[in-house]
Amino acid sequence: MKKILNDPDAYVDEMLDGLCLAHPELQRRGDGGRVIARSRGAVPGKVGIATGGGSGHLPVFLGYVGEGLLDSCAVGNVFAGPRMDDCIEAMREADAGAGVLQLYGNYGGDRMNFDMAAEMLELEGMQIASVRVCDDVASAPVTEREKRRGVAGLVFVYKAAGAKAATGATLDEVAALARKANDACRSIGVALSPCVVPESGKPSFTIEDSEVEFGMGIHGEPGIWRGPLKRADALADEMLAHLLPELALARGDRVAVLVNSLGATPAEELYILYRRVAAVLGAEGVTIVRPLVGRYATSMEMAGASLSVMKLDAELEAMLAAPADCPFWSVR
Amino acid sequence: MIDVNRLTAAIPRWCAAMHAAAPELNELDGRLGDADLGVTLDKCATLIAQAQPELPDSLEGIFKRLAQASAKASGSSFGTLLTVAFMTAGKRCAGTQALGRADLATLLGEVVATLSARGGANLGDKTVLDALQAVHLAMADASEEEDLRRIAIDAVGEALDAFRDKPNRIGRARMFADKTIGMDDPGMVALKRMVESI
Repeated sequence: MKKILNDPDAYVDEMLDGLCLAHPELQRRGDGGRVIARSRGAVPGKVGIATGGGSGHLPVFLGYVGEGLLDSCAVGNVFAGPRMDDCIEAMREADAGAGVLQLYGNYGGDRMNFDMAAEMLELEGMQIASVRVCDDVASAPVTEREKRRGVAGLVFVYKAAGAKAATGATLDEVAALARKANDACRSIGVALSPCVVPESGKPSFTIEDSEVEFGMGIHGEPGIWRGPLKRADALADEMLAHLLPELALARGDRVAVLVNSLGATPAEELYILYRRVAAVLGAEGVTIVRPLVGRYATSMEMAGASLSVMKLDAELEAMLAAPADCPFWSVR
Repeated sequence: MIDVNRLTAAIPRWCAAMHAAAPELNELDGRLGDADLGVTLDKCATLIAQAQPELPDSLEGIFKRLAQASAKASGSSFGTLLTVAFMTAGKRCAGTQALGRADLATLLGEVVATLSARGGANLGDKTVLDALQAVHLAMADASEEEDLRRIAIDAVGEALDAFRDKPNRIGRARMFADKTIGMDDPGMVALKRMVESI
């Protein structure tokens, strides 16, 4: 293991300390400091949006707490779900009396702890809705779409739901918009090299220097196939081939696109991928609005990239265009 | 039979076994998932060991303290299932000073049902639930003279053998289920290390 750290067991807490020092608009809350919330507190009258998940994915999940985005995040250990008590605290931080949307990636530990947190807080009378993002097409077949995991598409769903909440919409309206955004979004990833969970000190998987894992998950979960690394255009074509059929795009449709680095892959290579994605979509008569290219949902030092495509209607497009500001991303 | 003394004495052995098994479980989990099963149980064991000196004097109280410690240690899926299992055991043991063979069998049946409801796995999916169910059935069928530890170890071993050549049907492994044929489920192996230790 070669990582910049002091103590593997302090990895998450020291990261949170530094992040809040660098971005004083965010603060650590809760017993143990494993909740990130806006320093100014919940916005009165606004539906709160609480997320949560394991560490090791910055900017996901906690990095999207901010104006026009999320209100709080329950923070787990690296690749481990947040604790139930932290989910409860995150929801309390997000609650300004208009109800709280739990909006998070569809992972077992996250789901169990958010479900138990909701059961506890419903006893206190909190209004709660829950939407689990499931954009990773490689994690379950389309017939079991609700079992898929949430990856970089979380960013689009956070953005859309956060903007809707900022309009003063009701909890039902914000939850419906989050569901619509999730239904319109598909992602797939490819990995070239593993990452190391600090506490275990070992690579999460092994892969030959010449190989790519196609469809790999954001924690290094095995993908659809592994084989010799292809040219960038061939990879982009194959990624699109997994995403586009489910979106049923027609000429004249508009989409949001995110070409995301899993951590180590440089922006240069993302733009090489984006070049091909834009050409293919252009040839189909599909217009890309607001492309994002960069590091939005990572797996620490893993090399690789993911591609997310969201089919837009007028409402989703307006929500993606609304102002937002968080430590890692601003929309003006 | 399990009583307060036996349960209290078993906890340090359980913790030591989890620390020792962590690298093996990380490696097994890495083939199927996110490679953190050993890390999770290692953290649970650390906090459970910290709770040891102040454990209450009842089965109910001890199981609830174990649940609190594992809830504090981890929100990962297996850590949460461990928490739910301890909570279920705590509730079941209210007012009970000792668990005999039949009580344990009933308790394990309830744990399987609760974990299935909370976690979403079904029997046959090749998860820790199948191994727990095997222990539940073996305990229910055993005679009073048999050694409970031996029954549990044999039952988990038989479950591992029975499921080794079947595909995992839940989690991300469902996408490459055929590749999991011949592999031991990491959760079942974790349970094997647990029952061997206590």
